[in-house]
Amino acid sequence: MEKGLKLTDILVTIIIALIFGVIYKLWGPLYGVVATLGLHLEQLIYGMWFIAAVVAYLVIRKPGVALLAEVAAAQGEFIFGGEWGVATLIFGLGQGLAAELIFAAFRYKRYDMLIASLAGVAAAFASIGIDYYYGYIGDLALWNLLILFGTRIAGAVLISGIFAHLLVQSLEKTGVTSLVRPATKEDYQALG
Amino acid sequence: MPMDFSYKETWLHKINPSLKLLLMVLLFIHLLIIHNTNILINYMIGMLILYLFFTGHPWKRLLVISIPFLLIFLTSSTSMIFFGKGEITWAEWGLVHITEESFFRGLHLGFRGIIFAVLGIVFALTTRPVFLFYSLMQQLKLKPKYAYSFMAAIRLIPLMIEEMQTLHYALKVRGVHEEKGVKGFYNKLKSYSIPLLSQSIRRAYRIAVAMEAKRFSHPVNRTYFYRLGFSGFDVIFLCYLLVMIPLSYIIANHFPYFSITDVRYNK
Repeated sequence: MEKGLKLTDILVTIIIALIFGVIYKLWGPLYGVVATLGLHLEQLIYGMWFIAAVVAYLVIRKPGVALLAEVAAAQGEFIFGGEWGVATLIFGLGQGLAAELIFAAFRYKRYDMLIASLAGVAAAFASIGIDYYYGYIGDLALWNLLILFGTRIAGAVLISGIFAHLLVQSLEKTGVTSLVRPATKEDYQALG
Repeated sequence: MPMDFSYKETWLHKINPSLKLLLMVLLFIHLLIIHNTNILINYMIGMLILYLFFTGHPWKRLLVISIPFLLIFLTSSTSMIFFGKGEITWAEWGLVHITEESFFRGLHLGFRGIIFAVLGIVFALTTRPVFLFYSLMQQLKLKPKYAYSFMAAIRLIPLMIEEMQTLHYALKVRGVHEEKGVKGFYNKLKSYSIPLLSQSIRRAYRIAVAMEAKRFSHPVNRTYFYRLGFSGFDVIFLCYLLVMIPLSYIIANHFPYFSITDVRYNK
């Protein structure tokens, strides 16, 4: 047996990531249009940029998938000429690591909506950490900074937590997830 | 619609892709520790020169691509200009509080955003993904299973776009009505994303099985169709950066555009 992820896991992860990479790219102008208002309403949709990690993990359920997916999605956005350029790669790495840490903290045994939301929030914190250096957000007026925190975290829970989980639930009904997931205890029991 | 995406190859195309990527990341980190807007503006000019004259793409295309730069400038700067901390008030309407400090900090963020965008676009316009992954395998020892998966996945994207078009027609021909509001948006999102995702996962799985059978995941003693190495063009690029960066410091010191040299608050 090979160690780590198999080529199948990797290719499926990357395909999922690149689909979201295209969405990430399209999300940029949308975010930009909302952002010019200045009141951080755009932060509500920021959560979309954490979704690749969560969806890929929920589908494949293996260690390392979340990090790979988020990095690949960022790489995809970068190759397609995303507006934030190199910054995307660093943010992707940070967000992917954060989400991966949450899944690892539960020993890759939980796949529910709560864990998805937690991973989203962790990714949000990672992005805020990078933004501290990248966007001087520490120098915003306090009330404004709090709105930014609140809306970004709320957006993370809504999009990369709740929506991602619903999405994967519908995917399960199509039967594709059983192709790529490792066999569970129930599978072995069903074999008798 | 057939799209013409031809371009001339320039020296930027011939730089080793791994080196180019690494340098971009280093530039990113370096840019984060520049707090002086004067230096940043010179830096931006240095990058724009690469973008405007050396990507080998026609002027019209470069112009169209640069439209979002303006948007980036606005999105990166407005919150900071309107709501940033500062003492010397310029204007105040309700919540909006523009100060000299916040204004320059906002400008700084805007320029920074533009530089990242330009760097990213220059990379995207002058690097073929296939070469990037071959180079990552050969120079940075990325495992072949990751690199080939990535290249295969990139090839699948046009198929997905075609599929999305088909899906769009199928929904139309079956008379699916568009509902309004959040629920309608959610339903629309679902009716596209589920078939697209499930089909792509199935296809990726089949391709991966075939690739494994052909030993694409085999790491040792590989031969490569493309061999990438280093050349004089890498030296030119390094020299360009080594001249451009000190020059932007020197010019900023002797001929500053603004008197503010650090945009951070309380520094």
